[in-house]
Amino acid sequence: MTGSKPVLLRAVWIVAALCAGIPASAQISDTAANRAKLSQPAPVNPRQTGNNTFQFALANGMQVLVIPDHRAPVVTQMLWFRVGAVDDPPGISGLAHFFEHMMFRGTKTNPDDAFSQTIAKNGGETNAFTSHDYTAFYEQIAKDRLPLAMRLEADRLANLDLSDAHVAPERDVVLEERRMRVENEPQALMGEQMRAALHLSHPYGRPVIGWSEELRRIDRTSAQDFYDRHYGPNNAILVIAGDVTPEDVRKMAQEAYGKVPARELEPRAEFSEPPRMAETRMSITRADARVPIFSRLYRVPSYAQGRPGQAEGLETYAQLLGGDQTSMLYRVLVEQKKLATDAGASYDGFARDSGEFSVYAVPRPGVKLEALEKAVDQVLGVTALALPRDNDLSRAKTQLVASVTYRRDSQFALASAYGQALTIGLTVDDVNEWPARIRAVNAESVRRAAQSLSKRQAVTGYLIPGGGK
Amino acid sequence: MAFVLAFMAASLGSAYAASIQNIDLGKRAQVWFAEDHTVPIVALNISLPAGSAYDLPGKAGLAAFAGAMLDEGAGDLDSKSFHEALANRAIAFSARAERDYLVISISTLKEHAPEAMRLLRMALTRPRFEAEPLQRVRTQIIQSLQQDQVEPQRVAARGFARQFFGGHAYAHPIAGEIASVSSITAADLRAFARSHWVKSGLKVAVAGDITPASLTKLLSDAFKPVSGANPPPLPNIGRLGAPGVHVIALPVPQPTAAFGLPGIMRHDPDFIPGYVANHILGGGGFSSRLTQEIRVKRGLTYGISTSLTAYNKASVMQGAVATRANAIRQTVQVVRQTLGAFAADGPTQQELDDAKTYLTGSFPLAFASNSGTAAQLGTFQRQNLDIGYVARRNSLIQAVTLADVRRVAKRLFDPSHLTVVIGGTPADGRRTAPQVRRPPPPPGAQPPEQVPVTPASKPAAKPLDGQPASPQAVQKP
Repeated sequence: MTGSKPVLLRAVWIVAALCAGIPASAQISDTAANRAKLSQPAPVNPRQTGNNTFQFALANGMQVLVIPDHRAPVVTQMLWFRVGAVDDPPGISGLAHFFEHMMFRGTKTNPDDAFSQTIAKNGGETNAFTSHDYTAFYEQIAKDRLPLAMRLEADRLANLDLSDAHVAPERDVVLEERRMRVENEPQALMGEQMRAALHLSHPYGRPVIGWSEELRRIDRTSAQDFYDRHYGPNNAILVIAGDVTPEDVRKMAQEAYGKVPARELEPRAEFSEPPRMAETRMSITRADARVPIFSRLYRVPSYAQGRPGQAEGLETYAQLLGGDQTSMLYRVLVEQKKLATDAGASYDGFARDSGEFSVYAVPRPGVKLEALEKAVDQVLGVTALALPRDNDLSRAKTQLVASVTYRRDSQFALASAYGQALTIGLTVDDVNEWPARIRAVNAESVRRAAQSLSKRQAVTGYLIPGGGK
Repeated sequence: MAFVLAFMAASLGSAYAASIQNIDLGKRAQVWFAEDHTVPIVALNISLPAGSAYDLPGKAGLAAFAGAMLDEGAGDLDSKSFHEALANRAIAFSARAERDYLVISISTLKEHAPEAMRLLRMALTRPRFEAEPLQRVRTQIIQSLQQDQVEPQRVAARGFARQFFGGHAYAHPIAGEIASVSSITAADLRAFARSHWVKSGLKVAVAGDITPASLTKLLSDAFKPVSGANPPPLPNIGRLGAPGVHVIALPVPQPTAAFGLPGIMRHDPDFIPGYVANHILGGGGFSSRLTQEIRVKRGLTYGISTSLTAYNKASVMQGAVATRANAIRQTVQVVRQTLGAFAADGPTQQELDDAKTYLTGSFPLAFASNSGTAAQLGTFQRQNLDIGYVARRNSLIQAVTLADVRRVAKRLFDPSHLTVVIGGTPADGRRTAPQVRRPPPPPGAQPPEQVPVTPASKPAAKPLDGQPASPQAVQKP
């Protein structure tokens, strides 16, 4: 909500967090109970499950969610898979993301890049993304092209044709992607190192894009195995947002995806992390960093893991503590004490396993990171003792609740919110009830969230500009 | 099929056009409005003749600095109160300087539209430029410039603008340089705001949940006290480009090469064929020739793309590619060959047909949201197009022939005129040929970053993109 200053430090830091892979996450979804829930036959006919959401399932296990939006004659199709970087085999980090690239490399009937070409020829956009917990593919296209986009997705879901001739150049592409996103970006590099240290044994500690040494090991066989084990209609959630009716979508989806047989899936591994017994600290000195940064990542419960209301408390606390220029960190560190030029906090709770709470600050010239850290800790200390002021709390909640209204403006954002929730084990109700749950957050639950942050569950990092790399 | 789709897309264009209205705000201002009541928000995209090209000599970064101060206090609200007034109502309010314009993006819940407009009026007419926020924002800008000095994409883009635009006001960095930003005073900012935050040449694009009558009232109130002075004219530009490869040494694993050629002005009848030609060469995702040659066939990069950008006084066909240090020279060579081949032979009929179906068929995607619609209309306004262009646009693209694109490709893509600036050190043992002086920092030669129009939105994914293009709409000429 801040003006878009030419100042990009905040933005850069956030990007760093994204790129170093999805911040940590929470666990529930593959518990036996949840599996049972997922495998329960959903209704064959679309059933309204919210203000404007309709759900059904195909006989092969594919779940479908429809979000009508008739403003423009276009649709967004997203196909979400319950597979991500946590499912990378040991020693081959980056495989899930690499595989996402390979989905654009052709089938027998649509060889090479016919997929992208056909979508483009029909006026559509297509792309995909991978996180630790999920992988999603999408198309945005005129509504009368939706059957075509579905046929193409169904084709690569069933008939991907992986060849050595495609694997090698794509591996080089991903190595370039890693150089661009991580190795050329000191903040991203620091985020990667900090996450690796934050998670003692959980694969959230491995970057989604993979370590370069391990990326080089990817070959056709490992990609083929990954496809066979994880890509089936019974591991997918189809989300269609746009100028369609649920009944249209049911017919089209049945026609396109209905004939793809379910696959025997490899069960997702269950990870549980041992408690952290000690605070971890690191200083990284880089010649390509010109501005020092203090940051800290906490391992915290996610929406999928937390007690009722706990994640919402953390969410509201993050907004109040460091969501924008009216937040406590900004006000105290930047405006009052003049120790920092920027400061903020955020919570990422949309994960199957642990969530991540982060705090950062950028010192004014001449201010030591140690002094800045001390001042940050003072603010955190205050929030753990004193209840937030009413107007601060209500402003934070107003902004969070309004973000849901803004999200409705974008088919992509809306479809993503549901797709993400469903792949990490939440329900459509969880998404629909989120604003009400945020409204229910009170001062005491914010203070509890503040009290729950423990340095023992955290990694503190200093990025220091300096000589050698 | 191609024909059918094009027809459909063209008719969609007219459907939008029919729903876009002019709002009368006096003859020097242009207001376009797309009314839609589906989602209870209003999105505005406001352009003022206050871009970096108007920076005073020695004060590079003035326009951007002034824009960054827009929400830092005005009227009876100091910086803190102004931020709170926005945040209490979840109003998203941001400004970004381009070369010609300052672009202000506002998204608000419909019930807070009056307050959003009241704050805008105060920000434009009674800015405070107080010492505390001014010093804070200055430090933020300078830190950002310091970091930019070691980021290869930035270094290359800024070096490119410097080489390409030579002595013109487009050559210097939008964000300025450390020394120039350090020298900017409150008086400079105040004077700049007075002469450039004006309603002559004002462009406003609005989409969303409001009636034309209420919008007219809100905008008239908001802009009534805004000065009607004329901004000074921009100088014309001489020769564009500095052919050759310029290296700005930087010890990074992945250098970036920014490259470009003189483009085609917006009012030139060849602009649309040029836009189509650029799309085939390097504009469109996976199918472009440059992506095929450099990413798909050779695995040399994660992404390469080019764009044809027309500013008010100059036009440039510009691209960028990043690759490992020992492949950057080879990659530039492939770029050159690909350009040369395209200039010589032009596209195939198939390539042209595919480009046309994509460009026309994807046009409606830009109008799928209020924020997207406002941003797209604002882009058209800044290109000095008329409101009827929205309806005409697809048929103009449809009318482009193979002969047109061949002619324009020859005119545009002459590799011997190519200006290349490499940010980073090629690892090939060669001396770094014509040495550009080290990054006297940045021009934002890269297309201005797209500012998220929605506030702190509950994020969907925080994804690792698999492929270059971001889903959130690139503006379409």
